[in-house]
Amino acid sequence: MERIEPFGEGFVLALAPEFVLVIGLFTLMIVPNMGDAKFRIPLTQIRVPWLLGGRRGKLDSDPRLPGLFATVFFTIAFGLTAMSFVNGMIKTQIVTPGGTVMLQIDEFSRMFELIFFGALALASAASVNRIPATSRADRSLNGLYNNRRQVDFYILLITTGLGMAVVALAQDLFMLFIGLELASFSTYVLVSFMKESKEGTEAGMKYFIVGSVASGVGLYGLSLLYLWSGSLQFADLSVAFAENGMEALPLIALGMLLVGFGFKVSAAPFHFAAPDAYAGATAPVAGVLATASKAMGVLGLLRILLVVASPEATDGSAVWLVALGVLSVITMTWGNLAALGSTNPKRMLAYSSVAHAGYMLAAITAIGALNWEDGHIDMSNDAALVVVTALIFHLTVLVCFKLGAFLVLSLLESEKGGHTLESLGGLAKRDPFLAVAMFIFMMSLAGVPPLSGFVSKLLVIMGIVKVALLDVTVNSDLVFSDIHWVWYLALLMVINSAISVFYYLRVGLVMYFHEPEEGREGPLPKGTPVRFAIIACLITTIYFGVGAGQLIALCESAANALVGAW
Amino acid sequence: MTTDWISIPLVALPLVSSIAILAFVAYASPAARDRMGPSIRMATLLFSLLMLALTTAMFLGNEFIEGTKDWASLSFGSFNYEFRYVWIESLGIHWSVGMDALSFPMVWLTTFLLPVTIVATWNEKNAAVYFPLVLMMGGALIGVFVALDLFMFYVFWELTLIPMFFLILKWGGYDRKYASQKFFIYTFTASVIMLLGLVTVYFLQPENLSYAGAWTGRTFDIPTLTAHAQAANAGGAWFLGESLQKILFVMLMIGFLVKLPSVPFHTWLPDAHVQAPTGGSMLLAGVMLKMGAYGMFRLPLAFFPHAAEHFQFALLALGMISLVWGAVVCLGQTNLKKMVAYSSVSHMGVILIGIATMQPLGWAAALFMMFAHGIISPMLFAVCGAFKHHYHSMEIGAMRGMAKHSPWLATSMMFGWMASLGLPLLAGFVAELMMFLALWHFIAAEGWSVLWMVGPAFVLAITAAYYLWSMQRTIFEGGDETQPPESLKGQPVPDIGDAEKLAMVIMAAFTILFGVMPWIALDMMNGWTVAFFETLLIPILTGGA
Repeated sequence: MERIEPFGEGFVLALAPEFVLVIGLFTLMIVPNMGDAKFRIPLTQIRVPWLLGGRRGKLDSDPRLPGLFATVFFTIAFGLTAMSFVNGMIKTQIVTPGGTVMLQIDEFSRMFELIFFGALALASAASVNRIPATSRADRSLNGLYNNRRQVDFYILLITTGLGMAVVALAQDLFMLFIGLELASFSTYVLVSFMKESKEGTEAGMKYFIVGSVASGVGLYGLSLLYLWSGSLQFADLSVAFAENGMEALPLIALGMLLVGFGFKVSAAPFHFAAPDAYAGATAPVAGVLATASKAMGVLGLLRILLVVASPEATDGSAVWLVALGVLSVITMTWGNLAALGSTNPKRMLAYSSVAHAGYMLAAITAIGALNWEDGHIDMSNDAALVVVTALIFHLTVLVCFKLGAFLVLSLLESEKGGHTLESLGGLAKRDPFLAVAMFIFMMSLAGVPPLSGFVSKLLVIMGIVKVALLDVTVNSDLVFSDIHWVWYLALLMVINSAISVFYYLRVGLVMYFHEPEEGREGPLPKGTPVRFAIIACLITTIYFGVGAGQLIALCESAANALVGAW
Repeated sequence: MTTDWISIPLVALPLVSSIAILAFVAYASPAARDRMGPSIRMATLLFSLLMLALTTAMFLGNEFIEGTKDWASLSFGSFNYEFRYVWIESLGIHWSVGMDALSFPMVWLTTFLLPVTIVATWNEKNAAVYFPLVLMMGGALIGVFVALDLFMFYVFWELTLIPMFFLILKWGGYDRKYASQKFFIYTFTASVIMLLGLVTVYFLQPENLSYAGAWTGRTFDIPTLTAHAQAANAGGAWFLGESLQKILFVMLMIGFLVKLPSVPFHTWLPDAHVQAPTGGSMLLAGVMLKMGAYGMFRLPLAFFPHAAEHFQFALLALGMISLVWGAVVCLGQTNLKKMVAYSSVSHMGVILIGIATMQPLGWAAALFMMFAHGIISPMLFAVCGAFKHHYHSMEIGAMRGMAKHSPWLATSMMFGWMASLGLPLLAGFVAELMMFLALWHFIAAEGWSVLWMVGPAFVLAITAAYYLWSMQRTIFEGGDETQPPESLKGQPVPDIGDAEKLAMVIMAAFTILFGVMPWIALDMMNGWTVAFFETLLIPILTGGA
């Protein structure tokens, strides 16, 4: 493990992807403002070119530039993150001179950064079509509106990415919270970005209020933890929890932190804002909320529940086991039942996202059920590895098909559709490729083989079942009640995914069966970038299903970095 | 030259070619799509004929494909054309294929039905998409039968849903939306419950059996698991313990009973059949239902023989109820296709009874029923499809005196109906006779009253009744023979086209062939059943005696 001080030797190189985003941020701020402004040195006639302001050039003031830049920077950051895997990850810690570990670069954090940057790159490519920029010559109201806010939008996307990266890297609860808030505040604005529409404002308002309350509660929990242990370092907290974690104070703090992250993963009962937020936001942003933002929440949960309140700290199973199990059951069932009744495809996807959060909580619950007594540790480590791998795999492929589904909707939004299921009507006739893509995304969400959604669901079920059967000795005296109760979580999960098929199939039925709505008979808007993004999602959705081996290996190395560090 | 790879093209050729064609078609304009239709149809026919040639060569054995072991004398647990390729190493998932005498008849049947279906529905609209979907369906079905890996099995098992969903949705009848959804959701629900059962079995095996995953230490390999279960079941012990074995048996059986389907899980079938297009019905009844029976033999019966014995009477009851209920409901049908669909439920009851007898004869009867029904029922649905196509109605009695107006259709209908009700010298008779003998044995062995035979025997009478009655009302009963039915709206009455005639003749010929010379297929089925009983069931169920 390398240790680097902030801005010490190798600091920039170690954090290259993040610095690319910082550079991107400044580029986006500076470049559109570049002009021929000159600065006159006082009392002289010498004019020094100052470049900021003045008459702006044709190229740098093009409203299309920010979208392009953001996509490129996200792609570079994604590429650099992926590169760091190539020749073996160099594990690095960023340590202050006082010895506080701030950030840690390992496979786990880098894997999550891949998820974040990938999702954001796709979303920013799609947004180029969703909030279209024209040339500066466009004087129409819409044109003016959209051209002016290009920079704001992509700056917010990049700060979202930066915040998420900090969450992934953080080794200190306080750092983690700063990253979380940076990402959250950016997304609050992104959700309400379509401020000219009623839904956009309402969505932003609801999302902001509920989100900030959740953050506040989480922050209060954080302060209680600090009060209790005097440190917010994961390592210190973990030790303190192992010694006397069963006191009231840390448990209350833990519960409060759960609320904060529960909102981020949109777990019931903190999910109420999610459907409204998704429905009001533009589809690419909703896609980011459903994939990257959710991955961030799960990341936080994993850090808090598995590293800080580590299961081995208590006897047998984790303190939060039953609470989280109940939460997961409620979340998956509620999400699925609510999705059955929604006629807005974005709300439907939001509820399906709630259901997926339930599946992931079930997986985390399973880890809590492990037995960490002496003699069990190796076995439990193995099982925890399987579950964490399944979780990371699930979050990764979610970017492929859930974001893909939102991107298809974003093309429909460009023609003022996408808010009712009926606007998908006749998509098969209007644009067969989009219909096929959407159908494959839906099938993947439902977990139909051989798509990646199936593999991820299978992995999660396998993880839960493995944990449930861990203490079982297989012989002919085995009885059913020997199996740990988390097995029933797997059962509920398969029943729930059977329910979910109903609403996923309905999308297919509407696309292939219904006639187009009036006024929507023609072909869809062209939109090359968003179509490229959809194709990328489609290829990965299929590839990670048929050839899941490599991604599983990658996720396993990431999981190993987390589990092995316990 | 080694020939172990030979079953790969059977799966890969239809799947890859159909997906390639569909991807190509998706980018064509509607006009171009119509123009491409005939050539795509020709191409799919060619592919399916190639596959048929390949399986027929396999059937004929060593002279054509080197290294083919004799199908009838394959020992239990050995397979022809075994091929293995590591798919996902960490979980122990392999692309592992092979065929034994259980799966091979089904594979041959699929490849036989593909060209027949294509020919029988030669004039289906939107040909550029329809025929590739039929081909894809065939590939997925073959995949289910050749898979020797649980993961692969499940993947293909679910993959069959998608082409069938679209076949019903795009080419189906007036209520196709409801039917396709019901079909999909019903079978998917059952499958995921089965999946959980399979995963539970996966983690209950000991570590490091052969082909185990590098990371989980467990294997998805079906033959390995079967061998392990066999060892664990030996000497009266229960593999995985009594209660768990029972529960897992039920979980797996739910998946297969819904697919079969057995009463009370059968309600998706009539809807799906009535709404499905002719080609979809032919494949659905011909092969897809058999996936259920095939799966039972391959997994739960091989893994959990004790539980199977425990639930023997439950299975018998389900089979009896399916048999009787299906037949009785047939009597009341006014829709020709619905009647045929319920007769399928009734025939699937025969398979279930055959399994429930737990005797080699009963199992061989079930296997032969799967095969014979796979040839006969597509013919019935082809007849129904032609009837609908030419008379624009499915109601029994909408058209009377068909023998006069369309003699070819009338002849095919009569032949198919007779074959289905079990006329001697036709394929269906052999299976039914064997089932009755097995049931008789079973009842005698249990010391039950002979009256138990009355139900199934009575069903024969009912079957004859509904078939003959429907024939009477469509083929013969003349009335005013110069008056064609109202649904034709005064147009001249057509007979079936040449392509349909060809398909009917082929199906009829094979029905006769397997009725007169059943041993062609029955020998290998007997061989498999006897091997299964001798190596697996008898040592286990009799406690090694």
